[in-house]
Amino acid sequence: MNACKDYNITRRRMLQTFSASMLGMPISRLLAGSEASQGKAEHVILFWNSGGMSHLDTWDPKPGRKTQGEFNPIKTTVPGMEISEIFPQLAKQMHNASLIRSIAGTNGDHGRAQYELQTGFNQSPNILHPGFGSLVVHEREPLGHLPAFISISGQAARAGHLGQQCEAYYVGRPGEKDPYLAFPEGISHARGMQRLQILEKMNARLSGNLGASAMQASETALKDAVALMESPALKAFEIDEESPQTIARYGDTEFGRGALLARRLVEQGVRFVQVNRGGFDNHGNIFDAMRNHGATMDPGIASLLSDLKANGMLSKTLVVVLSEFGRTPRINDGGGRDHWARVFSALVAGGGTKGGTIIGASDPDGMEPAERPVAVPDLHATLAHALGIDLQKEVITPQGRPMRLIRKEATPIHELFA
Amino acid sequence: MHLKYFILGALRFTVFAAVASPENPDFETVVRPILERNCVRCHNADKIKGGLRMDTHKLIMEGGDTADALVPGDPAASEILVRIHLRPIDEGVMPDEGRALEYSEVAILDAWVKAGAPWPKGATLTEKKPEPIKRVSLPEKPPESLSEAAEMVDDIIRRENVNEDIITTPTINDLTFLRRTTIDLIGRIPTMEEIREFESWSADRREKLVTKLIEHPRFADRWTVFFADMLRVRSDLPGGNQLLAYLNGSISSGKPYDELVRELISASGRANSNPAVGFILGDDAMPMELAAATSQVFLGIRMGCAMCHDHPFDDWQQREFYDFAAFFGKTKKVQSRQRGVIYTTEGNKMTVLWPPEDKAAAEDREAVRPRFPFKLTNAKETPEYLVRFEKSRELREKNLSSGDESASLDALLDAVEPTVGRPKDTVLEEAKKESELLNVHGDIYRASELRSKLAELITSPRNDFFSRAFVNRVWAELIGHGFVEPLDNFSPYVDLNHASTLDFLSQEFIASGYDFRSLVRMIVLTDTYSRTTLSAEIPITVRESSEKNFSAAPVRRMLGETLYDSIVVAGHLKDFKWPKGANNKEITREIRVPTGEYTMVENPTMMAEMPAKPKMRSDGYDLESSLQLDFNQIAKADDLAEIKAMREKSDEQIEADKMAAMQKESQQKVMKYTTETKTEIVDDNPRFNSAMRMASPAPPAHFLRVFGQPARDGLGEFRDPSSSLRQQLMMLNGRMTHEASRVGPLEPIHRVLKKDPEKAITYAYREILTRAPSDTEKSEARAILGRNPAQGLADLRWALLNSNEFRFLP
Repeated sequence: MNACKDYNITRRRMLQTFSASMLGMPISRLLAGSEASQGKAEHVILFWNSGGMSHLDTWDPKPGRKTQGEFNPIKTTVPGMEISEIFPQLAKQMHNASLIRSIAGTNGDHGRAQYELQTGFNQSPNILHPGFGSLVVHEREPLGHLPAFISISGQAARAGHLGQQCEAYYVGRPGEKDPYLAFPEGISHARGMQRLQILEKMNARLSGNLGASAMQASETALKDAVALMESPALKAFEIDEESPQTIARYGDTEFGRGALLARRLVEQGVRFVQVNRGGFDNHGNIFDAMRNHGATMDPGIASLLSDLKANGMLSKTLVVVLSEFGRTPRINDGGGRDHWARVFSALVAGGGTKGGTIIGASDPDGMEPAERPVAVPDLHATLAHALGIDLQKEVITPQGRPMRLIRKEATPIHELFA
Repeated sequence: MHLKYFILGALRFTVFAAVASPENPDFETVVRPILERNCVRCHNADKIKGGLRMDTHKLIMEGGDTADALVPGDPAASEILVRIHLRPIDEGVMPDEGRALEYSEVAILDAWVKAGAPWPKGATLTEKKPEPIKRVSLPEKPPESLSEAAEMVDDIIRRENVNEDIITTPTINDLTFLRRTTIDLIGRIPTMEEIREFESWSADRREKLVTKLIEHPRFADRWTVFFADMLRVRSDLPGGNQLLAYLNGSISSGKPYDELVRELISASGRANSNPAVGFILGDDAMPMELAAATSQVFLGIRMGCAMCHDHPFDDWQQREFYDFAAFFGKTKKVQSRQRGVIYTTEGNKMTVLWPPEDKAAAEDREAVRPRFPFKLTNAKETPEYLVRFEKSRELREKNLSSGDESASLDALLDAVEPTVGRPKDTVLEEAKKESELLNVHGDIYRASELRSKLAELITSPRNDFFSRAFVNRVWAELIGHGFVEPLDNFSPYVDLNHASTLDFLSQEFIASGYDFRSLVRMIVLTDTYSRTTLSAEIPITVRESSEKNFSAAPVRRMLGETLYDSIVVAGHLKDFKWPKGANNKEITREIRVPTGEYTMVENPTMMAEMPAKPKMRSDGYDLESSLQLDFNQIAKADDLAEIKAMREKSDEQIEADKMAAMQKESQQKVMKYTTETKTEIVDDNPRFNSAMRMASPAPPAHFLRVFGQPARDGLGEFRDPSSSLRQQLMMLNGRMTHEASRVGPLEPIHRVLKKDPEKAITYAYREILTRAPSDTEKSEARAILGRNPAQGLADLRWALLNSNEFRFLP
C-alpha cells in the first residue's frame, strides 16, 4: 500500500499490480543488480527555491575572486567548510548538513530546468514525469492521518503518470486557516455531521443501483475527507500553538512559518513537505536580494535543523535546499547575475546522510565542476537511496508503458551517507 | 436473468484465468499466441534475424548468433526474455519493429520460462498477423437529415456488435435526456424554467431541445473549453487570451472546423490583429514542437517520438518527422524592440536541417525540403460524401458572398491573407497599407507559404486522419469512450474500436462541410448517446465490454467548469438572492496603504521582497473565484491605434521610446507602502460568475483544477476523471456549495417553502437533480425539514449538491 490516495482502482489496474507482483522482481532488475539500499530516511522536507538561486552567494563562495560579489565567506562548525555570510545561524548547523558543490545542470531555461530538477527527467512529449514528492508517496506507505505529501506557499511539481492521487495537498499560506478543512462558518459541528449523514444515505442509494467504480471512488474519497476533518492531527497546521519565542526563532515570515509548519507536519507522519519560495531570478541587484533572502531563510532552516536534531527526527528526515540552477559568476551591469546551469550547489541534511561533508567542487570562479560532477538525475537517485526506494523500479503508466522512476544511468552519491 | 451474464462472463474469464495463472501459463492458449503474433514474423525459415529461428522447439533451443535464446527455468539467462524486458526506446529491445509487448505479455513469458518453458511435443509456430480491423457495410444511400444519420449510426453499431458479449441498455427518459444534453451541450444543469418549458412541449421534444441547446449562447462557451483543452490554450502565454476569444467567436459564428484549423496553422502576425496566431505562439513557433503538436492534435498521430529517434513503437522514421517539421522551418517568433510586442513572421532560411544536430557536424547538415508524410485518399475517385462536401462548400460560399450571414467576415478575411483588422473597412485597409511601409512592422504581415500549403494538406477532405481525429474526440466527449484511446493515438498498433461507425461519422462530418454543430447534433440524436448506465449486479467484465462497445453508457463526471456553473445555477448565485445588508459582516483584512514616498527599485525581481500582495478575500476562498475575461473586449482590441501612433513618430522619437523602455526595465519607481490591518463592515452578498470564461487554466489548486482542468502544458494530456480528497473537501466546505444551499429570500424556492414545505422538497429535487423525489426521499426530506424548515431545506440542498447524483451525469 502506498500513500497516494488512489480512488480509481479499476480492474485493469488491479490486474497490472497482480501481474507485476506475481513475478516478484522484473528481470531487468535482476540483471542490473538491484542495489539493496537500506534507506534510513522516512520523511523529506524540500525547500524549493524557484528562479535559480546563486550558488556563489550561498553555498559556494569564491573569496578573492572577481566573481565573489559582495559577500564574504564565514566559518562554520565544520573545519574547512565555509559558506556565505548571509547564513550566520546555518553556519552553526553545518556539522548536521552537507553541501553538493558540483551539480552539472544542462538546462538554462527556467521551465525545463525546474522540470528536470523536480522530476529527474527532461521534458518530452506525451509523458509527464512525477515530481519527487509524488514519487516518494507512491513508494512509501502512509504514516499518520494527514495527506502524505504537502506543498506549502506554492505548488509542487505534478504527479504526472503516477496520477492525481499522488499529488501534493496544497497549503496556501502557512499559519492561515484552511477553510476547506472544517464546516463553513455558521454550520455547527453537530449540524455538519447531520448533513453528512443525509449525504451518505443519498450516495449509498445511488451506488446501490449503479456499480460504477467512479462513484465508489468518490465515496471513498468522501470518507477520507471527513476522517481528515475530524483528525486530531490537523492541529499540526495551527502554528500559533507554538510559543511566540519559537515562532520568532524561525522568523515570523511566511517562510519561517513554512519551515515551522514543515517540522510540525513531519512530526505527524507526513512523508514529504515542500516549502516553496520564489524571488531568486536576480538578473539585477542580486546582493540586496540575497541579503534579504538570507535574513529570511537563515533562521528558518537553521532552527528547523536544530529542532529536528533535538527531537531525534533529523536522522530520519532528509532536508534538501534546492533550486533549478545557479547564477553566472560574472556580475552583469545591473549588479545582477544571469542563469547558470553548468555548475551549482545544493544543501542536504539528515535522513541518514553524514553531515559536515562537501561533495565535489567547482573551479576557482564557480564556472564549471572541477571535481566529482554530479548529474541532476544523480540527485534523485541519492534521495531515493536515502529513502530506500528501489532505483531500478519500473511502473506502468496509464498508457501501459513501463517507465523507470529514477533514470537508468543515475547513481546515488554514496559519500553522503554515514 | 442475470445468471446468463454471469455465465457469459465466466466463459470469457476462462481464457483470462489461464492468462493470470502465475505459475504455469498454458502454452496453447496463452504462450503460443504471443510468440506467433510478435516473434515468429522475423524468426522463421524465410527471415532469420539475428540467426535465430523460433518456429520449432529445436531451433529455438539452438539459440541465435550471440546467446542462448531460451534457458528453461532461468529467465535471466534467456536472451529473449532479457530483450523483451527492455524499454521500448532501449537498444536491442524486442520486438524491434511493430507493437511493443504489453507488460502482461512480458509477465506471461517470464512465468512460462520460469516454469521450465514447457513445449508440447511437435508443436510448431507460424506467424500470425494481427487480425484485420473488423468492418461492416455502410449505408448505401446518404442520410437525408441528421436524425436519419443518427439512426444509421445506431444501426452500424448494432451490426458491429453482433458477436460481442454485451448488454444493450434502454434509452433514458425525457427528463434525464434534458439533464444529460443540457450538461453536455451548454455546460450546466437545466434551470427550473427550462424544465417547465421542456415539459410543455409535446411532440419531437428531444429534437427540439437539441436544436435549442445548439443555438444557445452558452454552447460556444462550453465548447471553447473543449477546444482550449485540445489546443492547449493558456491565458498566461502571449496570444493565449486572444486565442480563447477567437475560438469562442469561431464556434459561435459556426466557422467550419477545417477553416478554423487552416487559420490556426497558417496564421502569422500578432495576437491582437490575428488571434489565430496564438496556436503557433503557444509552442513558441518552434518547428519541432509545432510538428509534433500539429500531427498529434489535428491528425491523431503521435509523431513526436520520432523527433529524437525513429519511433519506438510505431512506423515513423525520424527523417519523416524532419520532412514534416520543415513546413514550420521558416517560422520565427519575434519580440519587437520598441514595445516588447510578440509576433510571428517568416524568415528566409530553413532552420530544419538534416541529419539531426547530434548526428552530424554543422557543415554537413542540409536544409530539409518539406514533405507531407501522410497518405491522402485516392484523388481519382470522388466518393459520394465528397460530392456532398463540394456542394455544401458551394452553398456556403454563395451564402457568404450574398453577405446575409454574420460569418461572412471570416470569408472576407480569407480573401486577404494574412488577416489584419477587418477588411472592407477602408480606414483599416489604409492602416494596413501604411503599416507595410513601416520597417518596424513590415515583417509582421509576411504570410507563410509553407504553412498555408501544410494547412491545405492537413485539412484536405481527402485526408481521413483529419476528420477521424476530431470525430473521435467529440464522440468521446459526449459518449464517454473514444474509438481509439488515448484519443490522439491512431496507429496500426493501437486498437481501433468500431471502425465502421467512425468511418461513417467522419464521412458525414466531411459531407456537412466540417460543421461542428451538425456533428454534435448527429451524435446527440443517436440512441447510443441516450443509453442508460448498467446496474451494480452486472459483472464488471460485461459492463466494461458493453461500455466499450457503446451499448451502455459509462458513468461520466461533469467537467469542473460545468460542475461550477451547475452549482451557481442550482443555488441561484448568479444574481443576488439576498436583500442589501442581509449578509453584513465585520471583516478584518490587511491592506497596503501608500505612504506618499517613492523608492527606486533596480529590478522587477526585487518586488519579490516587498510585502506579498494582499489576497482578494480574507477568508481563504480565493480558490473558488471566477474572475472573467471579456471575450468581446479582447476580440475587438486591435493594434491599429498603435500603428497609427508609430507612424506619426519620428525615428528619434522611436529611439527615445526604446531607451525609456530599457530604462524602465532595469529601474522602476515604486510607491512605498505600509501594510495596515483594517476592520470594516461589508455586505458579503454572494454572487458567482460562470467558470467558462475564466482565464484558463485556473491557478493550481483552484476548484477547476482540482476537478480535472488540465495544465495544458504538455501534449497528450487529458482531463483527469479521478476523485480526490481535495475535491470532496472543496465541495463539503466550500463557500460556493455553502452559499448555494442557503435559502435566499429573493429566490423562488423561498416563496414555495413559506406556502408549502412539501412542495419545496419537490422543488429542490427538481431544481438540483432535474427529477422529482421518490416517496422514500420525500419522507426522509420531511424529517430533515422538521422543526426548522428553512434550515432543513438548506441542509437538504447541501446534501443534494454534494451527492454523486449531482456531479455525475445521469
